[in-house]
Amino acid sequence: MNIKITHNWLLEYLDTDATPNEIREYLSLCGPSIESVTKVNGDYVYDIEVISNRIDYTSVIGIAREVAAILPMFGKKAKFKGFSAKLTSGHPRGVESVESVETELKIIDNDNLCPRKLAVVMEVKVGQSPKYIRERLENCGIRSLNNLIDITNYVMLETGHPAHVFDFDRVKTGKIFIRKAKNGEKITTLDGKTYILNSQDVIFEDGTGRIIDLPGIMGLKNSVVTEKTKRVIFWIETNDAKAIRKTSMRLGIRTVAAAINEKNPDSEAAKMTFEKGIELYHKIARGKIISPLYDTDPKEKPKKIIKTDYKTFDRLIGIKLDRKKISEILGNLGFEIASSSSTPRNDVIASEAKQSLKVFVPSWREHDISIPEDLVEEVARIYGYNNIPSHLQPPAYVEQPKDMEDLFVFQNRIKTFLKHLGLNEVINYSMISLQLIEVFDLDPKKHLRLANSISEDVEYLRISLLPSIYKNIEENKGRKDVLRFFEIGKVYIPVGTGRDLSLPQEIYKLGIATNTDYFDLKGIVEALYRELNVGTIHELSLPKIIEQNDVFMTEIDLQTLIDNYHQVPKYRPINPYAVIKLDKTFVLSPQSTYAVIRERASQSKLLLKIEVVSVYENKLSLRFCYSSFSRNITEEEAKKELAKV
Amino acid sequence: MLSYKEIELDFKNTLDKTSNLLNLQSLEIKYLGRNGIINRLLKKIKEIPIEERKIYGQRVNELKIGIRKLIEIKKLEISKKKPEKFFDTTLPGKTYPKGSLHIVSYAIEEISKIFEKIGFIRVSYPEVDWEYYAFESLNMPKGHPARDDFETSYLDFPEDKKLGRMVLTPHTSNGQNREMRRVKKPPIRMINISKCYRPNWDATHTPMFFQFEGLCVDKNITVANLKGTLDYFAEKYFGAGTKTRLRPHHFQFTEPSFEVDVTCTICKGKGTVGTGRDLSVRKCKVCKSGWLELGGTGMVHPNVLKEGEINPSEFTGWAFGFGIERVIMMKYGLDDIRNYYTGDIRFLEQF
Repeated sequence: MNIKITHNWLLEYLDTDATPNEIREYLSLCGPSIESVTKVNGDYVYDIEVISNRIDYTSVIGIAREVAAILPMFGKKAKFKGFSAKLTSGHPRGVESVESVETELKIIDNDNLCPRKLAVVMEVKVGQSPKYIRERLENCGIRSLNNLIDITNYVMLETGHPAHVFDFDRVKTGKIFIRKAKNGEKITTLDGKTYILNSQDVIFEDGTGRIIDLPGIMGLKNSVVTEKTKRVIFWIETNDAKAIRKTSMRLGIRTVAAAINEKNPDSEAAKMTFEKGIELYHKIARGKIISPLYDTDPKEKPKKIIKTDYKTFDRLIGIKLDRKKISEILGNLGFEIASSSSTPRNDVIASEAKQSLKVFVPSWREHDISIPEDLVEEVARIYGYNNIPSHLQPPAYVEQPKDMEDLFVFQNRIKTFLKHLGLNEVINYSMISLQLIEVFDLDPKKHLRLANSISEDVEYLRISLLPSIYKNIEENKGRKDVLRFFEIGKVYIPVGTGRDLSLPQEIYKLGIATNTDYFDLKGIVEALYRELNVGTIHELSLPKIIEQNDVFMTEIDLQTLIDNYHQVPKYRPINPYAVIKLDKTFVLSPQSTYAVIRERASQSKLLLKIEVVSVYENKLSLRFCYSSFSRNITEEEAKKELAKV
Repeated sequence: MLSYKEIELDFKNTLDKTSNLLNLQSLEIKYLGRNGIINRLLKKIKEIPIEERKIYGQRVNELKIGIRKLIEIKKLEISKKKPEKFFDTTLPGKTYPKGSLHIVSYAIEEISKIFEKIGFIRVSYPEVDWEYYAFESLNMPKGHPARDDFETSYLDFPEDKKLGRMVLTPHTSNGQNREMRRVKKPPIRMINISKCYRPNWDATHTPMFFQFEGLCVDKNITVANLKGTLDYFAEKYFGAGTKTRLRPHHFQFTEPSFEVDVTCTICKGKGTVGTGRDLSVRKCKVCKSGWLELGGTGMVHPNVLKEGEINPSEFTGWAFGFGIERVIMMKYGLDDIRNYYTGDIRFLEQF
């Protein structure tokens, strides 16, 4: 996801002498990637890519913290000012006391579906937000609606934690009852769309069965603030990230709040957001607190601890970093370090590298920092990846399995040969349509099917290359007169679904298709066999050529070609004796085919080879070459041999 | 009267200047004709004293034979110079077939060779695999967003109790665990190039695509080694002088994780092209900033090593996974990926 924040807003939390362009450049190298900086009436808007583990980047404060850690490495001044709103004795700054406790809120969450809930009821005046809030929101791509709603968006962008506001009077019962939805329950979100829920979705209801919120994702029409709102519930909860994602994806409601809540935002930020929100309601909506301040889990959680040592940093980065630098970088990022002093003093240098470190993780990094390697990343990125040297690892010999090597060597050899014969290589999707399977009279049940295919064109894993290359010829009709395609790719043959489930067999095939004629294709295959010396020692029969719609196709198992390949064919010494060539014409018939004639002629021990001279209608002229390896034969002898054919 | 020598010299001078058959003919008549110089010389024999006549006759005859021979040679020379028929050498030669390989095949071959030189072996692992190899073994537990069924293609097949559902591999990283288990003990130097699949089909995505995955595991493998390898690859594949840079990123199977950029092959990393005739400098349309994103990489996550039965406190490693179509686009500007796998001859025959 991407988020936009503005430069002036950032400066509320940051003291710096860097220009927006410097901030863009340095942050992109060491922290969040800033895709653009745009000047907008007196302010600059940063468009920031938020990577999935750094949800703390979705806020002004989060970015200010990063800038403060990164910029000093580039010689720039940058200091994080900290957060100012504080609940002093339970009240936000500027709110001296709870004005009156005329209302109460009942929060029921028996299954602890939302671990922390913060809420307050306030009397407010609805209206337009001040110019700076409207401008900032619009610049950041959020529509300004009215002050009551704008505040929730404004504090979310500032602190990184989503917040919500209900019309207290439209909630009616003063109760917020948190439970799982029942299958089939319906809701209408504040944008007027209706959704059907299931039992995995978390909802709020008012205690009467009336659903009033789809928490963490979107507010509902029946409880949202309106132009008539007089009293609001300002509300923040923490959620189960996985549950939020499931519901949001299933219903297709992709709000900024959902995108944040599904990635475990900082639960400590919830409190900061609450304080900032109350302060803003007070300031820009004449807010008056009229209920107790609720916080169901006010205890600050103990910080996560990572145990590591300095050696871990050196070992992974590849250079020895100054120990002080490591501490300084981690400190600037909000980590606290306690190094143990258990090692004896007289062994300082040797032990320094192994000296164990206890690193305390700040709350906003709790979900993304969990192993020492995570800390190595923090140190290395701020130190600067461009400051780490670059050199290849020392060489090492690893033997490539022969079967794997063969697959690649032969694919390449065959591809190159067929290219030189004039064929064009295609690569098709491994998946084909049901329709194509049926055109080829194949059984769909013998194919593996995708459970979640995005198109019926790519639904079944092919068990043959022929349907794909047939389609290639068909689709190129009219583009070129002569088409000769080949493809080398896998087919996927399912293996039984019995007790031992197995992956399909993935078998490499060579498929060739032409729109020419039978003998053109046969000639290609014969040429390939000759190129690979296939069949020169042990006869290898030619693959079946099939014809459909004037397309000629064949498919060969790659492994068979590899198994029958000979780098050098069987050597025969040069024959020094005369070769007698005799021509003879035959009439072809089913009983007297070329194969039959060849078979009969091969009975002669003197036969060297047979050549086809011409074929005209059903007349076949052949040239027979006779010779002996031990003496010169006479023409009479050769004629005698030929007469037997 | 001229001496023989003078006659011979005269003839040779004229012959040298003669360049066509017509002039040669008149030259022949002038010397050898019935009333030619030679015959006239012979007629004069009567005027020669008797005792000298024999030698005179011999000399004139020798002269005659010499002249005839030279004229014959000249005739041949002239006729060779001028062919009778016009022969157009600008016509094209005999047509031999020119086929084509798929652009992806060229890239696979080139990339394999680049890594072969530094000892990386190409392997082959399943394209249809269990969830375990595609996710769990890569530190991507159940519920990870990449495992959603709009991110990964699942097969309609019974689930294995241990290994999970059957998937079309969404990346070449499923080869990591398989290679670790095959080799059993580092060193590992793997390059895995394979078809990958994701349920995504639009102007910039096809449901099938190619990735190449590098994996290096050994003692003391560091970020510096990863940088060295990326620099080596970028220089060899994109050309000398190509630079790389790492930026922070996040992937489940690496820690630290990076995104790699290389300097734009079009503007050479300047971010601008020009200058035109008006000395204008324009923003490079391909990269906008001088850098192009190559893909993701990082140091192998200890959990991934553990799953491959390799002790992460003894060995470290790096890994990367880049798109073949992407590097082709970066190298040749060939960005219409929709043509790659539709078999259009007008696309294919160009390579």
